[in-house]
Amino acid sequence: MNADVLIIGGGIQGCATAYHLARAGASVILLEKDYIARHASGVNAGGVRLLGRDMAEVPLSRAAIQMWQELDDTLQGDTGFRPTGLINIAVDQADLDKLHARQNLMQAAGYTHEHIIDRDELLARLPHVNPACVGGVRSDLDGHAIPYKATNAFRLAAERHGARVLDSCELHALRRVGTRWLADSTAGRIEAATMVNCAGAWADRIALMIGDNVPLSHAAPMLMITARMPQFAGPVVGAVSRQFSFKQFENGTVLIGGGAKGFADRANNATRLDYAKLAEAARTTVEFFPIMARAAINRMWAGLEAYMPDNLPVIGPAVNAERAFHAFGFSAHGFQMGPVVGQVMADLVLTGRTDFDLTPFRIDRYDRKVL
Amino acid sequence: MAHDCVIVGAGPAGMAAALTLADHGVRPLVLDRAARPGGQIYRAASASPLPDRSVLGADYAAGAELITAYTASGADHRAEADVWHVGADGKILFSTDGGTCQAEAREILLCPGALERPMPIPGWTLPGVMTAGAAQVMLKSDAVVAEGAVFAGSGPLLYLIVAQYLRLGVKVAALVDTTPRDNYLRAAPLLAGALRVPSMLTKGLSLLHEIRQAGIPVFRWASDLQVLGQDRARGLRFVTPKGAQEIAADTVFLHHGVTPNPNMTRALGVQHDWNPDQLCWHVRRDPFGQSTLAHVSVAGDGGAIVGAEGAQCEGRLAALNMLCRLGRIDRATRDHLARADLTRLKRLAGVRRFIDRLYRPQAALRVPQCPDTLVCRCEERSLGDLRAGFDAGARDPNALKSLTRCGMGPCQGRQCGPIVSQLLADWRDEPVSEVGYYRLRSPQRLLSLQELSRFNRVHPAPEEAQ
Amino acid sequence: MFRSLRTDAPARVRVLVNGHPVEVPAGQSVWSALALSGQITTRKAALSAQDRSAYCAMGVCFECLVDIDGLPNQQACLRRVTEGMQITMQTITEDTKAEL
Repeated sequence: MNADVLIIGGGIQGCATAYHLARAGASVILLEKDYIARHASGVNAGGVRLLGRDMAEVPLSRAAIQMWQELDDTLQGDTGFRPTGLINIAVDQADLDKLHARQNLMQAAGYTHEHIIDRDELLARLPHVNPACVGGVRSDLDGHAIPYKATNAFRLAAERHGARVLDSCELHALRRVGTRWLADSTAGRIEAATMVNCAGAWADRIALMIGDNVPLSHAAPMLMITARMPQFAGPVVGAVSRQFSFKQFENGTVLIGGGAKGFADRANNATRLDYAKLAEAARTTVEFFPIMARAAINRMWAGLEAYMPDNLPVIGPAVNAERAFHAFGFSAHGFQMGPVVGQVMADLVLTGRTDFDLTPFRIDRYDRKVL
Repeated sequence: MAHDCVIVGAGPAGMAAALTLADHGVRPLVLDRAARPGGQIYRAASASPLPDRSVLGADYAAGAELITAYTASGADHRAEADVWHVGADGKILFSTDGGTCQAEAREILLCPGALERPMPIPGWTLPGVMTAGAAQVMLKSDAVVAEGAVFAGSGPLLYLIVAQYLRLGVKVAALVDTTPRDNYLRAAPLLAGALRVPSMLTKGLSLLHEIRQAGIPVFRWASDLQVLGQDRARGLRFVTPKGAQEIAADTVFLHHGVTPNPNMTRALGVQHDWNPDQLCWHVRRDPFGQSTLAHVSVAGDGGAIVGAEGAQCEGRLAALNMLCRLGRIDRATRDHLARADLTRLKRLAGVRRFIDRLYRPQAALRVPQCPDTLVCRCEERSLGDLRAGFDAGARDPNALKSLTRCGMGPCQGRQCGPIVSQLLADWRDEPVSEVGYYRLRSPQRLLSLQELSRFNRVHPAPEEAQ
Repeated sequence: MFRSLRTDAPARVRVLVNGHPVEVPAGQSVWSALALSGQITTRKAALSAQDRSAYCAMGVCFECLVDIDGLPNQQACLRRVTEGMQITMQTITEDTKAEL
C-alpha cells in the first residue's frame, strides 16, 4: 500500500490529522492497533476545557474551542459537543486569591475568556452546590463532548475524503529508505513519504523507531459514571484547589473525575483502580454537592494516559528523522485540542509551517545537552 | 491482613467448597448476596415459607441438608454481602449494611452462578413478562405465585416450575414449548451418554408426563413468539404447525436455558472461551477450576453450566486445589481426594451434552427479528439502532457500546451482551469467538456514592492470620 | 395476578407503596410486596417513560429499580421490607429536574 502520509494511532489527534490532510487532498493511511478511540481518546471524561490552561497552550486551546462550536457542521457528524460552560469552584479566600493572581496574568497576555464569579453568581448557576463555597471562575465557551463519538466523527469525515483507516493493525517496524518511509504492519508493507506519530501512550516507542527519545510516563486517571439522576447541574464543574470534577450529561448520567490516579500497566494494555482513592473522591463529591449522596455509580474505569514531565504535549517535527512529525503526550488534557492539532499537523506536513508557536512543545526539550 | 480463602457466592459450589476447606482446617470468608445461603437453586431451602416444601422436589430437600452442613462448618458466612469488585491483585470489594468493605485473599473462589438466556421477542420489556427463574425465586423465597400465567420456551427449568405450580394447585394458562422438532433427531446420538446417569433422564421424563397428565394446554414446536399488550402483558401470540395461536394471560414467564453470569469473571479479566454447544462463554479453567489467574478459581454454573450436582463436585475440586496451593495438603493427596468428583463430573457431562443438544434454543429466539424490538432494555436500544451503529463503523461490541450506549445501563450488558455478540457475528459473518464480548467494569451492581464513601477493610480473626 | 400461598401467620410489617399502605410478611422482598399489592410497575424507562417491572427477580436485570425511603436505584428483588418502609416507583427520565 502507498500513501502520501502514514499516521500511527487512531485517537482524536490521529483522526483529526487524517481528516485535515485528506480534506486538503493528501492520500492518507492511518494505522490503529486496537480500534478507533480505544484508549485515552475514548475513555477520557469528555471535557472540552479552555479554562485554566497552561499559558503555553492557550493559543491552541482558544483556536480549538472556536472549532468545537461548529464541529458537528464541519464534520457533518455528531461529536456530542454541548457548550454548557465550565465553572471551577473556590472554597475559601486562598482559592479566590489564586484566581485573582491568574487573572492578572491572563489580562496582561490579552486573554479575556475567564470570568471570576462571586458566591451569589455561583449559587445562581449551580443551585445544588454546597452553600459554604465562596465563588469561582467560569468560561462560557467550554463544555463537553462524547469522546468516542467525536473521534469517530473525525474518522468518518476523513474516510469521506478518501483516508484509509486500518483498525486492528499494528506497526511492527518502521524505517526510512531513501525518500520513503517503509512500514511493516499487520496489514503488510506500507510506503509513505511522510509519517505522523499520534500513538498516545505508545508514542515514545514509535518515536524511538525513528531515533527520537522522549521521557514519556504513564498514569491512569480514574473515572466514575452514575446511573441517571434528575438534572441538577448544567455546566461542567471543577474546583480551584481540590481533586474534584464532574459533569452531568443531557441523558442525566453524571461523570465524576477529578484526577485521582489508578495504576497504569502499559505492557498489558491495562489499568487497575485504587478503590480507597475512589472512596475519597466520593466523599469530596458529596461534600461539594450533597445531592450526590443519592447518586448510584454504574461504572468505574481508568484510561491509560501518557504524560510529559511538564504536562505539555509534544507537537512538531521529529529531530532525528526527515519527513516525520509528532503529536502526543497530552498529559490527560488533549481531547479538547484535537481539532486544532489535526490542523497544525496537516499544515506542518503540507507546508512545513504553522501559525502557532510550537517552541514549548518541541520533542527535544528534555534532551541532555551535558553529561 | 489477608484471608487464606474468600469464596464469593454460597450456592451449591460455594457451600461444597467451604465444607472441604473446613475439613482441612481452613475457615473461608464467604460473601453471599442473599439473606440465606443456598444460591438460586437451593434458595430458602432451609427456611421455606411454603406450607409443604416437598412439592418443590427431592433435589430441593437435599439442598436443605447441604445448607445445614455448611452452616455448621464454621465458615465465616456474611449474608447480604454484595460483592461488586474482584481484582487480579486479590482485593475484593463488597457492600454490606450501607457501607463498603475491602477484603484481601490469597486464594479466591468465584461461584457467581448462572443467569437466564435473554429471549428478545416483541414485548419482552412489558410489565408482567418475567423469566421462569423469577417464578422460582418468588415461589421459594416468598411463596408468591402468578395465577393463570403462560410459560413459554424450552428446557428442564421451565418444565420444573410448571410442574411445581401444578402440584401447588396454581392455575397455568398454557405451556408453549419452543424446542425445535429437529433437536430430537440431533440429540438422539447423545442418548447413550446420558443414560450413564439414568436418574437424571427419568426425572426429566416424569416432569413432562406430570404436566401432560394435569391437562393444561401444551403447545409444541412453537415459534414467532410475541407478547401482546400495550402498557403491560395481556397474553402471548405464537405460531405452531397448526397455525397462529393466542393465549390471554397477564403474566408470561420466558425461559430457554441458562448461561454463566459473566460480569465478575469478565471484569476481573480472566480468559473466556466461546462454547458452541452451550452457546455461551465459559471461563477457561483447568480440571480443578483454576482460571488463567492462578489464585482465582471458578466453580459451578458461573464457569460453565454443570447443574447443582456438578457445581458441588467442582466446588470440592477447587477447594482441594486451593488447599494444595496453600500448603495444607500435597499434590498426591489432592489428586487422590479428587478422583470421585472427577469421575462423577465426567458422567454428568454426558447428560449435559444431551440436554444442551435437545434444548438448544432456536436461533430466531436468541436475537430479535423485528427492527424495533429492544436489545438493550436499560438504554432502550433496538435492533434497528444497533444495525445503524454497525453501519456507522462500530464492528466491535465495545465500539458499538460507545456509539449507541447499548450495554451502558445498570444491568451492565447482562441482558444485551449475548445478543450483541451474536448479532455482530451474524453481520460480520464471523464466529462469536472472533467478535468477543463487552469489556466490563466494576462495580458489578449499582453502588451509591454514600456506600462507597463509607470505606472499611475486613481482616481475618487474629488466630487465622498467618 | 400474583398471590401468596402462605398458610401460616407470619409477623407482618406495614409499608407504603406509592403512598398506599400495604401489609406484607416481614422479611420478604420488596418486589414481592409490590407484586402482592398489584402495583407492579417498578420504574419508568429512562427514554420512553414506558412502564417497566421486575423481570428476573434475582438481581441481574435491574428492571425493578425503585425509590426506597428517598434513595433511588434500589433493586426491589434484593431488598427486604421493613416496618414503615416507603417504596415509590422510580421516575428518573432524561427530562427529570432535581428539586432544591
